[in-house]
Order: sequence, then C-alpha cells, then structure tokens
Amino acid sequence: MNDTCPFEPNVVDAAASGQWSESLRVHAASCPDCAAAAEVAPWMVSFSKQDDREHILPDPSVLWLKAKLLGSSAAVERASLPMTRVQIAAYLIIAAGWATLLTWKWSALAAWLNTLNPGRIATGSAGAAGAATLSMTVLVSLVLLASATVMVAFHAVLAEE
Amino acid sequence: MTADIMFAPAPFALAHAADTERRAPKVPLDEAHFEAFYRRTAGGVWSYIYRLTGDATLADDLLQKTFFRFIRSNPTLANDDHMRRYVYKTATNLVFDHFRDAKRERGRPIDLPPSELRADRGELRHDMMRVFSELKPQERALLWLAHVEGSSHEEIAESLGVKSKSVKVMLFRARKRLGEMLTKKGLAP
Repeated sequence: MNDTCPFEPNVVDAAASGQWSESLRVHAASCPDCAAAAEVAPWMVSFSKQDDREHILPDPSVLWLKAKLLGSSAAVERASLPMTRVQIAAYLIIAAGWATLLTWKWSALAAWLNTLNPGRIATGSAGAAGAATLSMTVLVSLVLLASATVMVAFHAVLAEE
Repeated sequence: MTADIMFAPAPFALAHAADTERRAPKVPLDEAHFEAFYRRTAGGVWSYIYRLTGDATLADDLLQKTFFRFIRSNPTLANDDHMRRYVYKTATNLVFDHFRDAKRERGRPIDLPPSELRADRGELRHDMMRVFSELKPQERALLWLAHVEGSSHEEIAESLGVKSKSVKVMLFRARKRLGEMLTKKGLAP
C-alpha cells in the first residue's frame, strides 16, 4: 500500500476532464487508489472552479514594504536588547547601592541632613557640623552614587527622545 | 497581526534545492521578483486557505501572514516550485495553528461550517462548501493539494509535515470519505 500508483495522475486528469482511454478505464476499475481518485476528481474540479474571492488581494508592494519595515523595527529591537539589559542592570546596581548606603549609614546621614536645616545654614554652622558627622568614605560614596543616578537618569531621558 | 507571528523563525529554509541550485550563487529575492511570484501564487494560496477555513476574512489575514513569513525568510531566487512549496507549507501551518488556537481558546469545534457559509448567496457553492467543511482540516488540505494544486505525494507530505509514505493512505481515506459523503448527499457524479 506504500507505492504510489504511476497511473494516478492520469486517472485524476481523465476523471476531471471526462476524457478516458479504454486502458485507463480498465486500470481504474481494478486499482482501488485510482478508483477512489476518479470518484472525487470531477467534484473537486468543479468545487475548485467556484470563485469565492469577491475582493482583490492585498497589493504585493504594500506587503513587501510592510514586511521590510516591520523587519527593520524587529532588527532594531534585537540590536538594542543588550543595551536595555545593561540599563536594567545599572538601575538595579544603583538601587542596591542606595539601599546599602542608607541602611549602613542611616544615623550618620540623618544627622548630616539635620545639619542642613535652614536655621543652621543661616548661622553658618551647617558645613562644619555636617563634615564632622560623615566620614570621607561615606561622602565619596554619596557623591559617586548621586552622579551615577543622574547619569543613568539622563541616559534614560535621552534614549527615550 | 502580532510581530511574533509574522517573524517567527522560518519552518524550513528555502535552500532545500537540488544540488545544482546549491552550487549556484544565492541571489536574494527582490521586490520585482516577489511581486511576480505573488501574482502567480497568491490567488491559489488564498483559495486554498479559504477552502480550509471557510472564512474569507481569515483567509485574507492568513494570506498576508504567509507572505510576511515568506519575505521574512529572506528567500533566494530559488526554483519557483520550491518557493511555492514553502508558501503552501507556511499557509498550512498557519491554518492548523489557527484551528488549534480556536479549539483551545473557545472550545469551538473545528469542523463546524462557519457562519459565512450559511449566509452564502450561491446555493451550489454553499452546498459544496458545506460538504467540504464536514471533512477534517487535514483531509481538506490533502484533497485540495492533490486535486487542485496537482501536488505529488512528496510535495503534500512536505506541506502537511507528514511522512511521504503516509500520504497515500491518508489521501485514500480522504477520497473515500468525500466519495461517501457525495453519494449520501446525492452529489456524486
């Protein structure tokens, strides 16, 4: 049952057109595959001739353009994926940095922030008191984190634009 | 139409060409050649999708997706027959995916004639479509490819993603089933 009958295409053609040769008719009567093909071939032909398309097909140039445009945007998306990942990593690192610094040196930072109130600034004692409450390491970490935050924020804004 | 559907990886490369074609330099398909190929094949592909789904709007949508995938596969100017087979295979996959999704999402039986058929004005066309829609989607595809597109068993196997040796048995059963239905409805020749 696995070998295709070599006469099948001829039988299908003959059944579809109604033009049988005697030998083909004899063959179709004895070959179950060809008999089944001949049984449905005329119906399939008339079915295929029913025109169901009542409107025109999409314009190929529009399809081509759309596919190319969407292909470009997909390529841009693919190309920018590593950058997006780096950006997300930067956000996470900065957030973790702030969380660590605030947890680790919260009391010192709170005291330093307290020295920045307007009353103390007016008397001129804010700077000296502030410097006394923060160590140089914390101060440098604070400046670095603040700079990194501003840079990432700028990058995000510029990338959006 | 979502981008993931349109830009899903090509199911198979068009480079399934004969050795002689493999040795030939691969020239990418340009717009002019695509247009010519589209004008030769799109009508047939639309009819194929429509006969499988029974829904003209869906056929329009799936036709576009089929050709989007075709362009996206970066086809080379291969044998026209290979490109045609690729397009029919893609269309078949999209139609079967649609049936699977419809069945999963809405629990809709896939063999029911769609509402469009019932509203069809042409009575003969209506009857023929109703008979055809009573077959299983794979049987419809088999019969259409064999009788209308004149595809060989190997080509049908490639389009349907089945073994070439199975096509003969499947096609025989599909023909028998359609023959029985036509006899039952008094439509047999």
